[in-house]
Amino acid sequence: MSIQFANIQFGYSEGGKPLLSDFSARFDEKKITILTGASGCGKSTLLYLAAGIYPHNGGFLDGGSVLVEGVSPESLAPKERCRLVGMMFQNPELQFCMDTVRNELIFCLENICMEPDRMEAAMDEALAFCEISHLKERTLLSLSGGERQKVMLACLTLFKPKWLLLDEPFANIDNASAAAIAAKLRQMHEEYGTGILAVDHRLDNWLGAAQEVRIMEDGRLLPDAMDAARLDDELLEEHGIIVPGRSYRPSLPPAEEGDEVLRIEHLSLSYGKETVLKDISASFRRGKIYAIVGESGCGKSSLFGALSGICRYRGKVFLEGQDLKSGRGRRQSVGKMGFVTQSPQDQFVSSNVRQEILTSLRKNPEAEALSEEILRGIRLWRYREVSPYLLSQGQQRRLGVAALVAYDCHVLVCDEPTYAQDRRNTIAVMDALARQAREHQTALIFSTHDRQLARDYADEILILEGGELHAIH
Amino acid sequence: MRSINPACKFAGLLVMTLVLAWWHDPVLNLAVFLMSVILILLSGTRVRSLFLMLSPILLFAVGMFFTGYRFSAGGDMPVNESTMLFADSAFVNGMTLASRVLAYGGVGYLFALTTDRILLVRSFHKQFHLPQVFAYGLLAAWGILPHMIQEYKRTRAAFRARGLRVFAVSPALLAPLLVKSIRWSEELAVAMESKGFSGKEKRSEFEPVRVRKRDWVFLLVCCILFPAAAAAVLM
Repeated sequence: MSIQFANIQFGYSEGGKPLLSDFSARFDEKKITILTGASGCGKSTLLYLAAGIYPHNGGFLDGGSVLVEGVSPESLAPKERCRLVGMMFQNPELQFCMDTVRNELIFCLENICMEPDRMEAAMDEALAFCEISHLKERTLLSLSGGERQKVMLACLTLFKPKWLLLDEPFANIDNASAAAIAAKLRQMHEEYGTGILAVDHRLDNWLGAAQEVRIMEDGRLLPDAMDAARLDDELLEEHGIIVPGRSYRPSLPPAEEGDEVLRIEHLSLSYGKETVLKDISASFRRGKIYAIVGESGCGKSSLFGALSGICRYRGKVFLEGQDLKSGRGRRQSVGKMGFVTQSPQDQFVSSNVRQEILTSLRKNPEAEALSEEILRGIRLWRYREVSPYLLSQGQQRRLGVAALVAYDCHVLVCDEPTYAQDRRNTIAVMDALARQAREHQTALIFSTHDRQLARDYADEILILEGGELHAIH
Repeated sequence: MRSINPACKFAGLLVMTLVLAWWHDPVLNLAVFLMSVILILLSGTRVRSLFLMLSPILLFAVGMFFTGYRFSAGGDMPVNESTMLFADSAFVNGMTLASRVLAYGGVGYLFALTTDRILLVRSFHKQFHLPQVFAYGLLAAWGILPHMIQEYKRTRAAFRARGLRVFAVSPALLAPLLVKSIRWSEELAVAMESKGFSGKEKRSEFEPVRVRKRDWVFLLVCCILFPAAAAAVLM
């Protein structure tokens, strides 16, 4: 059996240019298939159509049909649809509506009208399958991202769907959890015959589990399927996909080491009883690029949170000799230290794209002309009157970086600046940041879980492990 | 108190507050407050945490007492010396105001501290026929709240990093929050739907929320015995 798309005509605006035009494809349940391609190529849209979420919840389907196992998923009521296709989303924080794992599972079972006396056994079976029986009574709020994705998988196994669709399920979680989930998916595929179709533009987490890789480009599916065991690196790179272990080949001018600009002394941070950062000391110089690597949940975001003043910490942080904890230090730090946040939406301060750049340039007498130049440079000039929230993720990222780079700060702190970006955007963002560091003598500190990216761009790599920060060479 | 059906508890305590609004008798108010505190403690709340939670209303009550004491009723007011037999009117006036704060606060805490929110919403759905879209939507929205707080802090930090000074509830800060919460609610709705939830379809119930004998007794106490006793003593 299969998922079959026939002559799909689909777009997000009525009468506008369709994203998918006369699209036909067939995915077979016998092979775990990964659908990959550059951002905005239409791969997630395809998944949402197969899950029956579109066009019911967004977009316009102007023709064609989607059939899963010969049935149109959109024609089914939710409680029947979830037995046909289960869907796992990117953000593990926005998938639940109850307080505890147990209540969430009950909610799922009630939706499909299971008799109450069979529920307990069904829950235990699903939790045992996902190896998370110990989490049954825990509140969802207390779980890590990886644990939440496992709970989501447990919810889906309750329905025993014929197909599982996954939209970048590993984007927010650590590698160990990702590997565990990938192995479980393979087990489901082999034991229950569940068809699996996943969208991802990073292939490394799938290497052991996937059997077939398909590439999409601009709303078209390339005709040839690739065997997941024998990846064609050249072809993947050509289509903007991040290839495991392949260099980004940046061209960076050599570092001109400047003065020390940021110094961290004995910084510790804990949430309640849990210590996240233990006695960290480090020094950062202008003009150099630093990468901080480490597993998800190792404290990277907490460290940046301490620098930006979101998290309370013990110890001292000096920016150009001023203690950030003192009122004077805080005041003087305003505008000297720029932050690129993990989600680009977190840093917008204005109601339209041009204003976003102008805010950064407000002390510059040639702001108007300069903002036009910058926006043309990042190909966003025609969106200048649009709200930054309406841009695509790649565009938002470019705008966010450009807005901060325009500001001419002395330290740029970037939390996963290339998060959820394809290869092309990753290179564009990192090049812009690196250029800023070299040309304006800015200290650039960025975190990533892509070791290759760290090796290619950073002058110094720091690893955050067990709450401690070490330099690696 | 935890085992009382939440919808019945809500109805009973609501009637009780209406009754309290009718009379202004400090002894009645204090009795209600005391009763609430005892019931809260019996349901397993620790004394220390209860005291911490009550401290704002205690402070407010003290404030109200002095307001009432200082600006006591004159002769043309319904509360005057001739109707207050056992103490001077300024004191009683203060006590009346202060004890009202305590009584309402006590009843409010009694409800909040002894009610599980999931059970509350399910019971509203079952007993008051609240549509299930609202019921589960409410629960989902509750889950987003911690995100909102985190998000607010992040937005503030973003403004500061760009050299913009903003005050605590500035509209500039709230706009991004609003945009995000709309996006979140869409994502959440899609996630719920793909777990088989729809507003219309019938669902099974793991543990149906029923109205039992003890709930009827509770309602009887709140809606009939309490007003009757209060009336008998006060009139």
